Amino acid sequence: MQKNNVVMSEAERKSFLLNKIYKILPIISVVLLILLWFIAAGAENSNFPSPQEVFLRFITLQQKPIKEFNLFQHIWISLIRVFIALIVSWIIGIAFGILIGWNKKANALFSPVFTAFRSVPPLAWVPLMTMWFGTGEFPKILLVFMGALMPVVVNTQSGIANVAKMYLDVGTIFNANGKQLLIEIAIPSSLDAIFAGIRTSTSAAWMVVLAAEMLGGRSGIGFLIVRGMNSGDYALCLLSMVCIGIVGALLAIMTKYLERLVCPWTIIK
Amino acid sequence: MDNNKIKLKLENISQSYITKDNVFTAVSGVSLEVYDREFLVILGPGRCGKSVLLNMIAGIEKPVDGSIFLDGEKINGSDERIGMVFQKLALMPWKTVIENIEFGLKLKGMNKKTRRETTQKYIELVGLEGFEKSYPNQLSGGMKQRVGIARAYTNSPEILLMDEPFGQLDAQTRYAMQDEVLRVWDAEKRTVIFVTNNLEEALYLADRIILLSKCPAHVKESYDINLPRPRNTTDSDFLHLRKLISDNTDLAL
Repeated sequence: MQKNNVVMSEAERKSFLLNKIYKILPIISVVLLILLWFIAAGAENSNFPSPQEVFLRFITLQQKPIKEFNLFQHIWISLIRVFIALIVSWIIGIAFGILIGWNKKANALFSPVFTAFRSVPPLAWVPLMTMWFGTGEFPKILLVFMGALMPVVVNTQSGIANVAKMYLDVGTIFNANGKQLLIEIAIPSSLDAIFAGIRTSTSAAWMVVLAAEMLGGRSGIGFLIVRGMNSGDYALCLLSMVCIGIVGALLAIMTKYLERLVCPWTIIK
Repeated sequence: MDNNKIKLKLENISQSYITKDNVFTAVSGVSLEVYDREFLVILGPGRCGKSVLLNMIAGIEKPVDGSIFLDGEKINGSDERIGMVFQKLALMPWKTVIENIEFGLKLKGMNKKTRRETTQKYIELVGLEGFEKSYPNQLSGGMKQRVGIARAYTNSPEILLMDEPFGQLDAQTRYAMQDEVLRVWDAEKRTVIFVTNNLEEALYLADRIILLSKCPAHVKESYDINLPRPRNTTDSDFLHLRKLISDNTDLAL
């Protein structure tokens, strides 16, 4: 160790220090946030729940479940809705994006309608969905699906439509037919764009599911927030919010790893 | 040339593009013949339509006028007997070195085992052993260009087009790659059409140099280069030819 320090040059020491700082800064921000939370909760006449109260609420929720589910089960129920909606939206969204990105006629046919649909937020569909399908599982999943579909379609379409001509020229030189140009060149070269869509759709799905659960239903993390609001149980609301944040971050990390798995060339430099 | 069989013939090839308010002519009435197993260099000032000419031979662009004959038959569009090494490499970043090299064979529907056997020969020929599973962005400029050359050769084209393949390499790598290309050409005995704007490179490589004019490009002169290989760039014959061609070259704007 001592020896190592001697060998280190000025530049090396600097980058070593910088790396340390980059590792410490995130921890500092989390600690500061919790500290701020303590201060805000400790203020006079504040009914803002403190971190201890939120933690205690977590323990009670594990012991006394709401609607027969404890916290983890509620989170899991929300996640199941998200996963089902995501998988369906990825399959349909990528297929549709490839169609309108590759085929100019299909693009001319579908684009105007799709662009108009895209600007209607999923939550605006709630009244119609409720009228048609009630408040069960299906309309919730459908809402999440609609929120997740748009980013996948848009990103896939732009990726496929903007394949570098250079790569297609290589295909032409080797006498590739249309199907080979699409499968061997256009789709793989768009994978990073498609994954940008997948990342956006995952975070969108997590937001829409919470909103959908807040509008009606008896389970899920969004339901817990409404429950807390209606019974003045703000510790429950905050507890749910913390969980939403943590799960959202975990989902983002998971999609990142999925991308590395599917597109290994993007990380190697 | 000991073998004077005409491999490829361009007849009165022209290419123009419609711009905003004008018609831009890049190539005008180029006719030339390429002999079998010849190393032909097309030399011209920068931005004079050399790449356009090569793209038309490759079938990436269609000429507005003129015809191209391969072995006496007229060709339209790309032909599997013609391969190309691209100026901008055009290696696919999502494919490993070996997947890039076997790309042409894969498109032909050859099975994986036969493909790998054929590819291995060219990997060895260009000296890429050990890098088969690397991705292009892990390689140096010279190595990437070797992948491009191996990819073109693996498809066994009868004519290999090379579009300023070494333009982006540093001088040292460039010299090494020139020798490499001559060595591979010597081993494979294919016809090569090599485009460059570098006179020294042209003289070092060519059996014959076609000098193009500035834009719109037409054939200005054809020089037979009968210097023995390996050539010495400071040799008096070499320098004499260099001066001769240099004096006849249009300045690029």
